[in-house]
Amino acid sequence: MIRLQDVTKVYEGGTVAARDVNLDIQRGEFVFLVGPSGSGKSTLIRLMLRQEPITRGTIWVAGKDITALPNWKVPYLRRSIGTVFQDFKLLPNKTVAENIAFTLEVLGRPRSVVKPQVEQVLDLVGLDGKADRYPRQLSGGEQQRVSVARAFVNRPPILLADEPTGNLDPATSVGIMKLLDRINRTGTTIVMATHDHAIVDAMQRRVVAVENGAVVRDDATGRYETTMQQVIDAGSTSIPGDQPTGAPPEPSVEAAEKTEESIGSESPNVESEGEQK
Amino acid sequence: MSRIAFLMREALVNLRRNALVVVGAVLAVFISLSLAFGALVLNELVQRNTLTWQDGTHVIAWMKDADQGGLETAGQLSLMDEIQSWDEVETTRYVDKLAAFQEFELLFGERRPELVQEINPNALPTSIRIELTDIDLYRDVVFRLKENSAVLNVTSAGEQIEQLSSLSTVLNVLGLGLAVLLGVSAVILIANTIRMAIYARRDEVSIMKLVGASNWFIRVPFVLEGMIEGILGAGLAVLTVWIASQNLVSVADAIPLLTLDVPTAFFVRWGVLFLVFGALAGIIGSIVGLSRYLREADGSGASVSV
Repeated sequence: MIRLQDVTKVYEGGTVAARDVNLDIQRGEFVFLVGPSGSGKSTLIRLMLRQEPITRGTIWVAGKDITALPNWKVPYLRRSIGTVFQDFKLLPNKTVAENIAFTLEVLGRPRSVVKPQVEQVLDLVGLDGKADRYPRQLSGGEQQRVSVARAFVNRPPILLADEPTGNLDPATSVGIMKLLDRINRTGTTIVMATHDHAIVDAMQRRVVAVENGAVVRDDATGRYETTMQQVIDAGSTSIPGDQPTGAPPEPSVEAAEKTEESIGSESPNVESEGEQK
Repeated sequence: MSRIAFLMREALVNLRRNALVVVGAVLAVFISLSLAFGALVLNELVQRNTLTWQDGTHVIAWMKDADQGGLETAGQLSLMDEIQSWDEVETTRYVDKLAAFQEFELLFGERRPELVQEINPNALPTSIRIELTDIDLYRDVVFRLKENSAVLNVTSAGEQIEQLSSLSTVLNVLGLGLAVLLGVSAVILIANTIRMAIYARRDEVSIMKLVGASNWFIRVPFVLEGMIEGILGAGLAVLTVWIASQNLVSVADAIPLLTLDVPTAFFVRWGVLFLVFGALAGIIGSIVGLSRYLREADGSGASVSV
C-alpha cells in the first residue's frame, strides 16, 4: 500500500530528517512509527502526504509514485489519505458536521449523500448529539474524534495519524485508539507516529522505530520498550530512562555529531512535545 | 452542480460568520468609491453647466427700427440670410417685437411685474440671435456686424464664454484626476482589506489543502466573498452619491443659471461601471491575497515539526 525506497530528506540548513528509509506497508496493516522528538517520524508522514518536497528516493502510495506527481494532482492523492494530527486541525468557523462534510464536499458528493454519511460517521465516533457544535465548544478528546471522523468519512484506503494522542489524557487516548482500531478492522491501512509507550505496548502491532531519520527497528508485533533495550544492547553510551530512545543507533563519532546537530536545530519542538508527554 | 451550490453556500456562510471583517471590507470599498464617484459627478456637473453656457446664443445683433434709419422686416430677414451664409455662423434666429416682448415678460414677469405693464411692446428692438460654429471666432463676427448701418448694437457673451471654457477645462482635468486617484486607492484599499481577511484564515487554507481540496475549490468561496463585498460597497457608494445629488438638485433650484441636475442615464451608466469595478477589485484582491497561502500550503519551505 505504501512503499518507501531510499527516502532521504534534508531540510534547508542541513538537518537530515530522513536518511535512506526503506519501508513496505501492506494493505490493512496498522503500523506505529515510534521514536523521540526530532527523530523524523513526522517528516515521513509529511512526505507521504506530499507536504514536503523529497530530497532523494521514491515513495509509492496505492501503487503510484507520488514523488513524481505533478502539483495539481496532489489534491487527488490527499483525498485517498485520511489524516489525524495532534492539534486536530479542524476548521474553526465550521460546525462539527460541516467539518466532516467538507471532505465529501471536496469530492463533489451531492448533499443527499453527504448528510447520511456524516450522520453515520458521527455515530461511529460517538458524537451524534454534537453535530452543530463548533470545535471550540468541544473537549480535546471530542475534537480529535471529529478529526478522526473527518479523516474516515470518505472511507480512504489509508489513514495517517501524527501523534493523535499527543494532546490527550491517557483515558481519552484509549478511546481514540479504540476508534482507530475499529477503522483498521474495516481494512484501512493506518500509519501512526507516536511516542506514547502505553499505547504502542497495548496495541501489539507492527512497530517501526525511527532515530535520526533512519529506521532502526521493524518488529511485526513490537513493544515500544524493546526499542530502548535494543539501543542498550547495541552498545549505546546514553543514559536510559531519562530519554529512552534518544541515543544514536551506532556509537560512531559521526553519528553522535549528527545527533547533536539535529537535536540542536529542533530544540523548540523537543520542548513543546516534552510538555505533552 | 452540487459543487457550485456548495461553494456558493460556503461563500455566504463565510460572509455571515466573518461579519466584522466583511463590514470592514465593504466600508473600505464604500468610502473610496463614494469619493471617486462623487468626484466624477462633480466633473459632470461642471461640464453640464459650461455646456448650457456654450449652447444657444453667442452674439445678438439688435436692429434699428425702420423709422430710425434701419431696414424693414423683409430687409432684416435678408440680412439674416446673409449672416447665415458666413462660415463662422452655425444658426441664426430672428426675434421680432412680439417675441422680444414675450422674452421680456419671461425674464421680468415674476420679479418686476410693473416693468412688464409699463413697457410698450413696440419699444423693444427686433434682433438677430446668432450661434457660432466656434465661440472663439466671436470677435470677427461682432466686428462685421457693427460695420452694418442697420445694426443698432451688438452684444456678445464671448469673453465670459472664453473664461468659462478655460475654467471648465481646468475643473475637468482636476475632477477626472481626482476620480482616477481615488479609484486606484480604492483598489489598493480593497486588496489590502481582503488580504488581511485571508491572512486571518490562512490556517483554514492549509487545512483545506490537507483534506484534498484543489486550489480552485479553496479559491472560489474567497473570490465570491470578495466579489460580493466589492459589489455591496460600490452599490452603497453609487446610492449615496445619487441621493446626495438628488438633494442638491432641490437646493439648486433656487440658484438661477446653475443646474445641479445630473441625468439618470449618467448614474445608470457610471453606476453599473462602478459596480463592475467594485466586483473586479474584490475578485483581484482575493486572488492576489490567496496566492501566497496556497503556495505556502503546497509545502515549499514551510517550517516543519520533525
